[in-house]
Amino acid sequence: MRFFSFHLMPYIGLDPAYDGPAWVTCPNTLYDPAVGSALYNRYLDELVSAEDLGFDGVCVNEHHQNAYGLMPSPNLIASALARETTSMKIAVVGNALPLYDPPTRVAEEFALIDNISGGRLIAGMVVGGGPEYYSFSVNPAHARERFQEAHDLIVKAWTTPGPFEWVSKHFRIRYVNPWPRPVQQPHPEIWIPGAGSLETMEFVARHRYAYMGIPYFHLSVFERTFKMFRDACEAEGYEADPLQSGWLVPIYVAETDEQARREYEEHLWYFVKRLLPGITIQPPGYTSVRSLANVLKGAGTFMLNVDDWDEIVDGRYAIVGSPETVTEQLIDSIGRLGVGNVLGLFQLGSLPADLTARNLELFAAEVMPRLRAEFPSPSSRSLRDGIPAPRALARQPANP
Amino acid sequence: MEESRLDTPIGAVQLFRAGPAGEGAPPLVYVHSAGGETHLEVLDELSKDFDVIVPVLPGWGESEGGDAIDGPEDVVFHLLDVLDALGLGADAPRPLVVGTSLGGWMALELATRYPDRVAGLVLVNPVGLHLDDAPIEEMFGRSPAELAEMLFADQSHPVAAAMHAMEEFTGDVGKQVEIPIELVLPMWKAMAATARIGWDPYLHNPKLRGRLHRVTVPVLVVAGAQDGLVPTAHAETYAAELPDARLEIVGGAAHWLPLERPQELAALVRVFAPVAAATR
Repeated sequence: MRFFSFHLMPYIGLDPAYDGPAWVTCPNTLYDPAVGSALYNRYLDELVSAEDLGFDGVCVNEHHQNAYGLMPSPNLIASALARETTSMKIAVVGNALPLYDPPTRVAEEFALIDNISGGRLIAGMVVGGGPEYYSFSVNPAHARERFQEAHDLIVKAWTTPGPFEWVSKHFRIRYVNPWPRPVQQPHPEIWIPGAGSLETMEFVARHRYAYMGIPYFHLSVFERTFKMFRDACEAEGYEADPLQSGWLVPIYVAETDEQARREYEEHLWYFVKRLLPGITIQPPGYTSVRSLANVLKGAGTFMLNVDDWDEIVDGRYAIVGSPETVTEQLIDSIGRLGVGNVLGLFQLGSLPADLTARNLELFAAEVMPRLRAEFPSPSSRSLRDGIPAPRALARQPANP
Repeated sequence: MEESRLDTPIGAVQLFRAGPAGEGAPPLVYVHSAGGETHLEVLDELSKDFDVIVPVLPGWGESEGGDAIDGPEDVVFHLLDVLDALGLGADAPRPLVVGTSLGGWMALELATRYPDRVAGLVLVNPVGLHLDDAPIEEMFGRSPAELAEMLFADQSHPVAAAMHAMEEFTGDVGKQVEIPIELVLPMWKAMAATARIGWDPYLHNPKLRGRLHRVTVPVLVVAGAQDGLVPTAHAETYAAELPDARLEIVGGAAHWLPLERPQELAALVRVFAPVAAATR
C-alpha cells in the first residue's frame, strides 16, 4: 500500500456574487494575483510537508483556465518540489498529452524532473479534461488518437536511441532526440487517470501501467471501474497487481467525528458548489460511442449532483471523521476496491492552512500506520519492479 | 422518401431519395446541416419537381466512414465519390446542390474545387467564413434550449418547443442522467461528426474566401433575418464575393429557416432552378 498526498491547488475566495461555472468561461478578472501568489506558496509548503510526515509521495495535476485547480503546468510545480524534497515520489498525474505539440516536450520535461529529483518522478499521462478542449481548441474528436500517438512517441523517445524520425497522423518530427534522458531506466513508472472509459482501461492493462480512478463518484462506481480494470488485465493474460490501481479521495481527519464535520463541511461545499460546476462538460467526439454508456452510468452519482451531507458520507465521496472512523472506512473501501495506492486530497475547496496541516499530521500519525499494517506491501519498490516488464519494452535493447 | 445504402471507399452511407414518377426530373442533392436532417417538408415539396437525393454524411445517422473525415476536404472527396456512384458526373446531369449551414459550407468547398460537377448552389444560412466583426456564435456545449433561441425566430415552433422541453439535457454529462442513451446517441454522433469538420478552425476554412471566385455557377444565398447563430453579414459577404450570386433575406426565420419557412424556401428554389439550368 502506498500513500500519496494529492493537491489540486484550488482558488480560494471566488467572488460570492459570481454563480457561473468555474471552468472555461469563469472570468479571469476574478483571479487576484495577491491571493494567488500566497496560495501557491502555501500549497507548495503543504506538498513539501508530506515527505517528513512519511507519505510515499505527492501528486499534482494539470488543468487550464479554471478556478478548480491552479496548475496549468504541473511540471513547474513538480520541478520546485524536486528541489525542495529528497526522497518521496513526485507524481505528475498527468500531462494532458493531446495539448502538447510536439509531445516530445513531455518527454523532455518529465526527464528534466526525473533528473533534478534523482529518479523520483511518476509520469502520469492523461487525455485532458473536457473543458480543456474548449480552452485549447484542440479537436476533441482527435483526443484519443492524439493521446495514443503522443504516448507512443514519448515512450519511444525514452526507450529508443535517438535520433529517429517520427511520422504519425497528428505529429511529424524529423529528429527525435531528447536531452536529457530519464534517470529511471527504461523510463519512470507510468500512471494513467481514467473516468471509466473502456479504451483507457484496455490501454493501461495492455501496457501494464497503473490506472487511477478519476474521483468524485459514489464508491459503487469505483468498485465497478476497478473490477472492469482487473478484467481488462485478465483479458491480457495476467492478474492485476494492486499497485496498478489508485483511488483518489478527499480525506479529513479531526479529533472527533463531530469536530471533523463542523470544521470541514463548508469547505467541502465550496468545492462541490463553486469549483466543480463546469468540470463535466463533454465536448463532441471526446467519448467514443462504445464508452458513452459506461460514462453515463456513473454520471448520476457525480458529486456535483449531491446536496446532502449524509450522501457525501454514505457514498464515500469524502472520508471524514475521527482517526478511528477514517481508518475503519478506508480499510473497508480499500478492501472493496482492491487498490494498492491511496491518493488523498487533504486540502479541499476552501480548507484553510491550519486545518490542512493538522489533517495531514493526524492522518500520517494515526491512520497511515494502521492502514500499512492492514495492507502490507513493499512501498519502496516501484511499480516496474513489482510486475513483469511490458513485452514491448522487454524487446528494446538497453540504451548505451 | 426511399432509403438505400451507397458503397463508397470509406464505407457504406445512408441515402434518401424521392422524386416525381417517370424519368428526367432534374437532380437536386441536399447536403444536411450539423443536425443531420433528412426528412423535411421543403424536400417533400421539391420532390414534386426534382429528383431529390439526400446523402447522410459519414459519421451522421447510420452512415459509416466518420473516422475518415478530418476536415472539409475529406467531405469534398467523399461527395465526389457519392456523385460518381449516383452517375451525376461531369458529363451526366449536374445536380443543383442545396445545403443548409454546414451543408452550405460543404457545397462551397465542393464548388470552389469542382465547379463543373454542379449546376448551381442554394446556400441556406451557410457557415464557412470567419468575419472579425460578425463571428459565428458558439454552438458546441450549448443546451438545446440555448440552441433553440439561436436557431428559431419563433420559439413556439414544435421543434423549438421540444428543444426547450429538453432543458435538462446539456453537453454536461453530470446532468444527463435522466436521458436514455437512445435519445442521446444520434445527437452525440451528429455533434462529434460536426466537430471533426468544424471544431478548429471553428466552422470555417480560412482559405475559402480567397477561392470564392472559382465558383462559376449561379448561386442563391438565402438567409434568415433573425439568425442567432450566423450573422447576416456572412450571407451578404458570400453574395458580394461569389461571381454570380443573388441574396434573399427571409423574414420570420432564423438559422433553421428550412423548418420555419419550408414553402417559401421551396418557392425560392423553384424560381432559381431554371437560372442554374440555363447557365450550364
